[in-house]
Amino acid sequence: MKMMESIQGYIFEIQKMSTEDGPGIRTTVFFKMCPLRCVWCHNPESLFKKPSIQWFQVKCIGCRTCIDLCKQQALSLDEEGMHIDRDECIACGECVEACPGTALRMLGEYWSVEDLLNEVAKDRAYYVKSRGGITASGGEAAVQSDFVTEFFKRCKEDGFHTALDLSGYLPKEKYAQIFPYVDLWLYDLKEFDDIKHQKFTGVSNTQILENIKWLVKENRQIWVRTPIIPTYTASEKNIREIGNFIVNELDNKIDRWDLLAFNNLAKAKYARMDMEWACNDLDLLLPEEMEYFFEIAKSTGVKNVKWSGLTKTVETEDSQRKISKFAPPSCGVQKN
Amino acid sequence: MSNASEPQETTSLKSKYNLAEPHDLSPRSKWLRDYYFRGLDREWNNEYDPYSTGVEWDRIWAELDFYIVPEAMGFMGKKKRGPFGSSIDLMGKPVKLPKIFWEKSLPERRMIFFEEAMVNNTPQEIVGPSLLAGSRFNLQLSKCFTQKEEEEFNKKLVKDIRPSVWKFHEYGFGNLGATGGHLIPDFPTIINKGFKYVHKLAQDKYNELSDREKRGAKGEEVRAMIHATLIPKKLAEKYAEECRRVAEETEDLERKGELEQMAKNLEIVPWEPAQTFWQAVQSLWMAHMLIMAEESYPGPGDSFGRIDEYLYPYYKKDVLEKDLITKEFAKDILGSFWFHCNTAYDGQMRVGGNQGITAGFGQLLTLSGCGPNGEDLSNELTYTMLEVIDEWSPILEPKPNVRLHRNTPDELLDTLVDMITRSQGAPFILNFDERSIEGMVLEGIPKEDAWDYACVGCLENTMQGNDRSGTVNCNPNLAKSVELTLWNGASKFFKGKPEKNLIQFGPKTGNPEEFATWEEFWNAWEQQIKHIIQYTVEVYNKTENLRAAFLPTPYLSTLVRGCVEQGLDIRNGGPEIRFITIEGVGFATLVDSLLAIKHFVYDEQKFTIAELKEALVNNFQGKREYIIMQTTLKNRGPKFGNDLDEADELARNIMETWSSETFKYKTDTDFQFRGGMLSWNYWAGEDAAYTPATPNGRLANTFLSNAICPTNGADINGPTSVTNSVGNALGGKTDDGKYVNYLPNGASHTITFNPSMLREPESKEKFKAYLRGYIENGGTALQINILDANMLIDAQKHPENYPHLLVRVTGYNTYFVAIGRELQDEIIKREMHNF
Repeated sequence: MKMMESIQGYIFEIQKMSTEDGPGIRTTVFFKMCPLRCVWCHNPESLFKKPSIQWFQVKCIGCRTCIDLCKQQALSLDEEGMHIDRDECIACGECVEACPGTALRMLGEYWSVEDLLNEVAKDRAYYVKSRGGITASGGEAAVQSDFVTEFFKRCKEDGFHTALDLSGYLPKEKYAQIFPYVDLWLYDLKEFDDIKHQKFTGVSNTQILENIKWLVKENRQIWVRTPIIPTYTASEKNIREIGNFIVNELDNKIDRWDLLAFNNLAKAKYARMDMEWACNDLDLLLPEEMEYFFEIAKSTGVKNVKWSGLTKTVETEDSQRKISKFAPPSCGVQKN
Repeated sequence: MSNASEPQETTSLKSKYNLAEPHDLSPRSKWLRDYYFRGLDREWNNEYDPYSTGVEWDRIWAELDFYIVPEAMGFMGKKKRGPFGSSIDLMGKPVKLPKIFWEKSLPERRMIFFEEAMVNNTPQEIVGPSLLAGSRFNLQLSKCFTQKEEEEFNKKLVKDIRPSVWKFHEYGFGNLGATGGHLIPDFPTIINKGFKYVHKLAQDKYNELSDREKRGAKGEEVRAMIHATLIPKKLAEKYAEECRRVAEETEDLERKGELEQMAKNLEIVPWEPAQTFWQAVQSLWMAHMLIMAEESYPGPGDSFGRIDEYLYPYYKKDVLEKDLITKEFAKDILGSFWFHCNTAYDGQMRVGGNQGITAGFGQLLTLSGCGPNGEDLSNELTYTMLEVIDEWSPILEPKPNVRLHRNTPDELLDTLVDMITRSQGAPFILNFDERSIEGMVLEGIPKEDAWDYACVGCLENTMQGNDRSGTVNCNPNLAKSVELTLWNGASKFFKGKPEKNLIQFGPKTGNPEEFATWEEFWNAWEQQIKHIIQYTVEVYNKTENLRAAFLPTPYLSTLVRGCVEQGLDIRNGGPEIRFITIEGVGFATLVDSLLAIKHFVYDEQKFTIAELKEALVNNFQGKREYIIMQTTLKNRGPKFGNDLDEADELARNIMETWSSETFKYKTDTDFQFRGGMLSWNYWAGEDAAYTPATPNGRLANTFLSNAICPTNGADINGPTSVTNSVGNALGGKTDDGKYVNYLPNGASHTITFNPSMLREPESKEKFKAYLRGYIENGGTALQINILDANMLIDAQKHPENYPHLLVRVTGYNTYFVAIGRELQDEIIKREMHNF
């Protein structure tokens, strides 16, 4: 945990060699907190204001050091695994510090601008060669607009390309504050039908659609991103309406539109946080389904449409097993 | 042999995974490749062929070459010749020798014997539709000792050298021994000027000698060299006869014409300068195969250097300008070369292999790379050779290294990334020029020459044609230095097991239980690592001196600049550039162990030295506290490979100490020692088995870290972070951006990516950018595996479906199904980097 000095960023993950959040090779900084509650959220660890503790079964040797130590008596271990009493746990972090196997981890660390800048600068060579840079994601990074503004300002001084990943839901002022230091806006348009949008994300999309109009008017570089979630956003109507909005209301002045296929990698995260996930039993899409939505998106007249993400083939099923088994837990962080 | 029946189709892969398969091969190349893979079913093969002088004391197998394969020690005997030596000696076919033979000096005897065995006793055969002559080279040659020489050699071996080397190994210090190969001979001179030129050079040298010198060792050696230069000529003449004989029997007019042209080629090369591309490759092959025959340990790092540079003028003239041959025919000439390189393995067909020993022949070729002014030197032949590699893959030999640098064109990177995409492991190692060149400069090569380095063996950087750098001769186990420090200079473990009595090896640097600070521990460690280097040098020199006195190789000496000029054998101080590399084994195991001591004993004071020692002796087993300690050491605290300043700084300090200390020593034969971190397969072999538990939480008898890679699973920050750490450990860059490299010979970094990374064109571009970033921040040599862990698990279950699945281990390809289960598991466990 970094010591408090001046302004602090509240961050739950720094992903090096990130290749899915903007052009080139990037470092994506995942900020905590989000005003939306999307049913398919892939980064549930971003949602909470206070730090929370996670338990990684594969790392636990069952030594009970943490249980002996916990003053709140919030931990218990049985054959099902570790139970964390979320009401009792005050996230003091003592168990995290003591756990020999790093099976207990604290989600959320405070970073100073200086330290964060030093950390992301380590990969400068790769940004230069790939025309990549830094992405602020989350959660909704702009919730911490003071910090992100200061951080991006310093990034620009150091010559890094900056991308802000946003829901667009916050008041315009929040984004306007960061505005001078953002090279690329990764803008989520998830669902066009406002009733559905409220149902899926807990908020209306009115502000979201207004804010993107403002950015277009300001001639900003924008990549629109639409998560394609089966039974939710994955409908022909939705894709067509977002496409028509881009063409008609935004004068087709965005730089790229990404359709992101649903993935179920967050399953384990929800389990670790003792949370239910509405998408737990959702199947991956077939590549043909993604191709179908992709064709619809293109047919609306939007230029530079792309699709990416996991789809249901023998190979991807295998690679998912591989990820859950072999990759460090942090690799599961995905944009939604 | 000309009438080999049509080989069967290689069985097609039944696996559900996408494996690299040979493709687009011409009928000739396909025949050759399929024929090679028929292995024991072939009617022709290149199995070991031992030849003897026929005297009862004759010695054919000199074990020195194999000291660096410690697993073979059990077969070498204690007081007598062991099973390996005696059985080969028994099989030796006596060669008829001239009467004057025993009156000649040892080097001259060796050449008389070599000629008799190679030219007059070994059959000359043309294999199938091959376009190259020169097929059998797996000779095991008598050492040609007189009885007196044999007695002297044997006495030194049994009384002193063998026990010293054994002791070094069994106490866990690693392995060492003067071994063959590992160099790039001066092939351009042979191709461009012919052996005729070297013959004259040697004769002129002889004429310059004083009468006294002529009567002495120099005279003996130079006379042997003069003789040596004639052997390729005589062999070529025999092969020319064979070509004509087969041509007469051949009805196919096209093949008849080829065989007649091959005969004509052999009447020119390798004695005269090559006139065509075909002759240039023939000349190269014959010069090369004779080295393997002479050293009688075929192919350990006998490398070709920058082959796309020195063959290019011939290719350009014949293929691009004069249309003398088509590109397809040029590829068939290269295909024939590929085939013959692989037959080096025929000697081991019957014994099989384990833990990658079958992959021990690094006949390396170097492609692309920069010129004197940083400009790129790739040419059409570079791409043609890459095509051959791609079409022949998976195949073990020759092993290609591709040099990258800041001015590498996008076109080349595109080709390479496409090739990587299509295979489970990149069919080449990438070598990085800027940092590599700094390493050559560090060892004293002038900057204006250093750009023309190339790689031998696995990936070791040396100069071409004049450099013998003994790149795997000394392989000390770095973990031993921590043990010596913890036990005040004494060894606590024998064959990896704790001993009751301590045996003092190193200096008494104090009982670390009484050290108050990390600095005291570090200083003590420095003394111990210095001692290990000194001890390595001391034991190694015994093997080096024996080899220098008794095992000259005059033929090879004619191919390395400096030897003829000085009248000295390559094994006795002849080459212009002379190094012996001390390759530390288990670098990251050492770094993480010292980091753990610093962090947990001194910074956090979580454990005491006494507690740590007790846990290590018990291999962290038997008590709850030990298990908690082991888990803590393994999982917590800083680890090398994550771009952490604290870890990388310690890694760099260790490297600097290693590099500067190794440079302080020379052999008695005037070779300079230098530092390396190759670790070949020792990190997974008996040296790992003989390593007790280490303070980084590693259990006894498990693998050490590999080359310059992090310990298994310790790097959790992704590919860019591990790349930065590797570059930092080698020295990083100065404040004004100049590359630093403490290891002249370079160090191998293996990284495994998931296939998903290269699926999309966009991600391919990002991967190319990553490689360009590697040029800036990374190490000297990168091996890329593109492997799906599930595929490997499937291959363990159904090896029959994966006979040709190649994986990279340290600096070599090996067939996954041919390696031991433990090493398979290790490869599966390696972190898969996911984009």
